[in-house]
Amino acid sequence: MFKRLGLTLLSLGLATGAALAQSKPVLTVYTYSSFSGKYGPAKTIEERFEATCNCDLQWVTAEDAGSLVGRLRLEGESTKADVVVGLDMNLAAEARNLKLFAPHGVDTKGVAVPVEWEDDTFIPFDWGYLAFVYDSNKLKTPPASLKELVENPNGPKVVLQDPRTSAPGLGFLLWMRKVYGDGADAAWAQLKPRVVTFTKGWSEAYGLFLKGEADMVMSYTTSPAYHVVAEKKDNYRAAAFSEGHYLHVELAGRTRTTKQPELAKSFLDFVLTEPFQSAIPETNWMYPAKNPASGTPAIFKDMVQPSKALIFTPEEVLENRRAFTDGWLNATSR
Amino acid sequence: MRSLSHPGSLVALAILALVVGGFATLVLAGGEKPALLAIGPYLVRVLIFSTVQAALSSLLSLVFGAALALALARRRFPGRNLVVSALGLTMVMPTIVAVFAVLAVYGRSGWLAAGLHGIGIPVEISIFGYPGILIAHVFLNAPFVARIMLDALNTVPAEQWRLAQTLGFSPAQILRHLDWPALRGEVPGLAGLVFLVCFKSFAIVLALGGGPARATLEVAIYEALKIDLDFGRAAWLAFIQTALCLALTLALNWAIARPPAAQTVRALAVRPDRTDRGLLAWDSLVLVLGLLFLAPPFLSVLAGLAHVAAVLDADFARAFATSIVIAALAALMACLMALALGGAARRFRLAARMPRLAALYDALPNTLLAVPPFALTAGLFLAIRPFVDPATAGYILLPLINGLGALPFAYRFIGPRIMIAGERYGRLSASLGLRGLDRLKIMDWPILARPLGAAFALAMALSFGDFGVVALFGGTELQTLPYLLYERLGAYRLEEASSIGLLIVLVSFVLALLSGRLSHAAD
Repeated sequence: MFKRLGLTLLSLGLATGAALAQSKPVLTVYTYSSFSGKYGPAKTIEERFEATCNCDLQWVTAEDAGSLVGRLRLEGESTKADVVVGLDMNLAAEARNLKLFAPHGVDTKGVAVPVEWEDDTFIPFDWGYLAFVYDSNKLKTPPASLKELVENPNGPKVVLQDPRTSAPGLGFLLWMRKVYGDGADAAWAQLKPRVVTFTKGWSEAYGLFLKGEADMVMSYTTSPAYHVVAEKKDNYRAAAFSEGHYLHVELAGRTRTTKQPELAKSFLDFVLTEPFQSAIPETNWMYPAKNPASGTPAIFKDMVQPSKALIFTPEEVLENRRAFTDGWLNATSR
Repeated sequence: MRSLSHPGSLVALAILALVVGGFATLVLAGGEKPALLAIGPYLVRVLIFSTVQAALSSLLSLVFGAALALALARRRFPGRNLVVSALGLTMVMPTIVAVFAVLAVYGRSGWLAAGLHGIGIPVEISIFGYPGILIAHVFLNAPFVARIMLDALNTVPAEQWRLAQTLGFSPAQILRHLDWPALRGEVPGLAGLVFLVCFKSFAIVLALGGGPARATLEVAIYEALKIDLDFGRAAWLAFIQTALCLALTLALNWAIARPPAAQTVRALAVRPDRTDRGLLAWDSLVLVLGLLFLAPPFLSVLAGLAHVAAVLDADFARAFATSIVIAALAALMACLMALALGGAARRFRLAARMPRLAALYDALPNTLLAVPPFALTAGLFLAIRPFVDPATAGYILLPLINGLGALPFAYRFIGPRIMIAGERYGRLSASLGLRGLDRLKIMDWPILARPLGAAFALAMALSFGDFGVVALFGGTELQTLPYLLYERLGAYRLEEASSIGLLIVLVSFVLALLSGRLSHAAD
């Protein structure tokens, strides 16, 4: 018994020794949980990056993009993060205001994001459009525009996310603003009777939809691709809206506090290369920010291709979010 | 020696310091604008809604729980032990599992709707709003209430039963003179506990509430912390919530005084009211209704069985181990704190004759429920940041916050028993000159051992299923099972998530079974 314990301890010591002897530099990358989870792209990306960097890439995860910013805010200057992967456009201004990020220094020419990319703090790593997803077996004629959805009193029931707690929830709030402008609050009041509920996060809403509690759910145009590829089900579709779809762009940046700025920079460079980008579509179910030479998987070509990308700049979001949310609250909480 | 007999006061002070310190750090970190928060009309509406739904939820849970407890106390039937164990289980379900379970039964495409359609009643069921919130809250809390009340009913001494039999008490008289005094002692604590749990219930209220009119203050705190990054606002909101809940708990504790416990105890006598026909019919009705209400959502969780094989991998094993360790640490902390606080309450009530002060100690654990865990975690994190590496902070904060979260529940088991030990044997042991460890061993341990075990198991189960602050500090190392559940949900893997949910419930069930065995064995 003790002999075995001794052996275990010995081997443990040897392993630690070996690990110390290697002493590769460690690159700490913060991301959200499903990115680094079993089905996320993190493992592939780690293998591919470590093959070239002579470093040890370690993931540290928070629940979602909001938690990432919250955690950075809490950690402040003492953060261990060298790189952060998984912020989004609507959090970008808040993240920038933390003053923890350094200019990315990456050439973003030729990124495939549907908007001009000029940001010098964050680079896009993937993107997608928000969309209502429905079950075509149950809903034969989905609305063809946001206006049709909002203004038809007998329209389908939808499940949404609370814009105060969820990224797609906030995205849809902004979408309504883009389409209705100052009339958005009135439009919310019109839509409200057909909103089953506003959940805390995307997961609850999508679960509610799959369990049949609503006819449509706020998600992404690429969500049906998951059902086709992973589940071989083609009855889930995204509804194309004629006004255009709100754009969701996911971002990466490096911290100013990092002790290895070169390594962090080389990871950011790596983000916009083939090995990273080709890992994205069928794990994160989003469009790659730079089309890999191998092309995006065929299934992505079957997805809804919006005619127009709708988006507010991060600064506009920062400035107006409070007012937009309050308007939404007043219109829907009666 | 004297100072050693005050660990309760030290624990109470430490808890207060943690909470106050956490909030204060948060306010300071808020920076330039620590101005008093203007409470807008929306927040007022939210507060009113929270109060009403929490009051309704606790009233229903208490009435239903008491009826169940009385029926279970009066009846013996095959499988009763299993039922009693399962009672401790609903409370520890991860909220998202509970939401899906409730909808699987009462939702638009749920079993109830399917059943009604099957027999030709095509009604569109929608429980979003008050019905959904109340169903979920009663489903989660009433069984726990029944558990604790059943324990209380079992403490009625055999002498009283014999007396009741000799005097030929009617069932109504038994209820009034034997059962009610035993139940009444639990009412303030339980009512406060359930009220607070419901008052800050968050994901459930949003998912089943149907709109932002039905939200709780916790949503606003979460928003301030995670979206606005406005720590000052978060701290003020947290303060408002805590103050409000504190006032309510204290009012409740002072309004309903705790009766002194009986002097002796022996094996439970046969209840004379078992033979009453009317009562038998009533109990059967209660038990059947209870089964109809509680069993289906439980059974719906079993749907996760289909994909269990897919989730049993290295990730799962690691998350399982992490969850167990954190839960055990949290439970240990909760039990030690409960012991210390219970001891202090007893000292003040019995030795020092200061029942009001004792009531304060009794109320302290419940008050913790009012403290928003996110705000507290954020505050404490900021407080220890200068001294502790952020990567290790999670290891300290997670068990601590979970332990504080489980304390109110552990205290429900431990606090009353400590008091009973003192009331029954305190004078005797004092006259024998028992002190310190000897007193603990001879006077307290025999009566405390089992509730302590029960409290430990329940606290562990609670922490095990809690997603809570892992959201902020989870990571590659600190992955718990609820964290894994959300990770799979985020990757569209609803089936795997439901399997993980099922496994969490199963582990909790084993713990609850253990807890039930322990707390129901005779003293």
